[in-house]
Amino acid sequence: MYKWDFTPVLANADLLAAGLVNTLKITGTSLACGLVLGLALALLRLSKHRWASWPAGFVIEVFRTTPPLVQLFWFFFALPLIVGIEMTPFMAAVVTFSIQSAAFFAEVFRAGIVSIERGQWDGARAIGMTHGQALRRIVLPQAVKRMIPAFMERTIELMKTTTLVATIAYADLLYAANEISQKTFRPLETFTVVALIYFVVITAFSLVARRLERRMAISGESTVH
Amino acid sequence: MHRWDFASVLANTDALLVGAIGTLHIFAICLVLGLGLGLVVGLGRYAQSRWLYWPATAFVEFFRNTPVLVQILWFYFALPILLPFSVSPLAAASLGISLNSAAFSAEIYRGGIQSIERGQWDGARALGMNWRQAMRRIILPQALKRMMPALTNRAIEIFKMSTLASAVAYVELLQQGKLIASLNFNPIEAYTAVAVIFFVFLWPLVQFTYVLERRLARDE
Repeated sequence: MYKWDFTPVLANADLLAAGLVNTLKITGTSLACGLVLGLALALLRLSKHRWASWPAGFVIEVFRTTPPLVQLFWFFFALPLIVGIEMTPFMAAVVTFSIQSAAFFAEVFRAGIVSIERGQWDGARAIGMTHGQALRRIVLPQAVKRMIPAFMERTIELMKTTTLVATIAYADLLYAANEISQKTFRPLETFTVVALIYFVVITAFSLVARRLERRMAISGESTVH
Repeated sequence: MHRWDFASVLANTDALLVGAIGTLHIFAICLVLGLGLGLVVGLGRYAQSRWLYWPATAFVEFFRNTPVLVQILWFYFALPILLPFSVSPLAAASLGISLNSAAFSAEIYRGGIQSIERGQWDGARALGMNWRQAMRRIILPQALKRMMPALTNRAIEIFKMSTLASAVAYVELLQQGKLIASLNFNPIEAYTAVAVIFFVFLWPLVQFTYVLERRLARDE
């Protein structure tokens, strides 16, 4: 019978902590960039001009239908050779995950904006707002409220996807697991502990998301997915 | 400016073909195991008995709330410590992806079954069917129709997840792309080719889910 021993793993708690911080750093940066870029993509996609809506639609489709790991490898190994700049694993990961989540966020933004009744636009125009003002002051604030559950779900997916950076040797939590397991010869305990850390962080986040969602439901808002 | 040259990739078509077969192989395993086991777990989540409900719920929560790559590496590096035999890359990756997909599809099945009106159950019972007959003949066929878009989406996710098997050196498309890139020093063309192949496989599937979604929205 195998004797479990967690002490060698716990002795490397500093590596795990540093890994977790890096995981959160990549998640946070990609989330922020992804939201901004996603809104831009959604607005382009909704544009009446074909030369704006088609390229946006193409980017969204490509990033939704190719595997994230293939995208990451492309941005890490191929792009630097094309544009002639050095890419750190962190940069490649942030670029990949930002565009990738932007493609998903764009569809959420689009569904949210489309779900706002025509009358809200008309009312805003009637009191003299431009298209941009109506979007910013009237439509988006209402739409964003409906989109919150979908954003939360996507953010959780993003955090799970960031584990892929371990394959290009960025020191995230999963990479720390690899390192500790090789150092201590305790893969069973190491990977179990790391799986539990992910479980706790992601569960905590999804509990917060569920509470927010329930509050939205109580305030009588419909949501989009 | 980089001069694109796909000749070095085309010279390795056979390697890519081997990779494509590997990808389809693991996709088929995980599709059947993931969606099949998902139905069992989904029924457990729907069950009245606590002995079925709690284990199913724990399974779903655990596999949904941990990254699939962590699961694959756990099965590859950690599980063999507890077993008297080693775990192959294919087995580890299939286990991780299948169990992860089972957890996600369980929620699809549960939602689909719950969406069927109470009256359908009552009608089936009135005709003298027992629970199992009612589920198999009346409820599931109707629920499956509603779940089709979500299940097809899951299939697409499984296809994309299959690339993670390359992390444990299972021979699939991305792994072959890596090999070609390192042998020919052509990462631009090699990885672009792999991305294009995935797009060609998946784009029709994605369009198919759009059709299913529209058809369902029209019928309901």
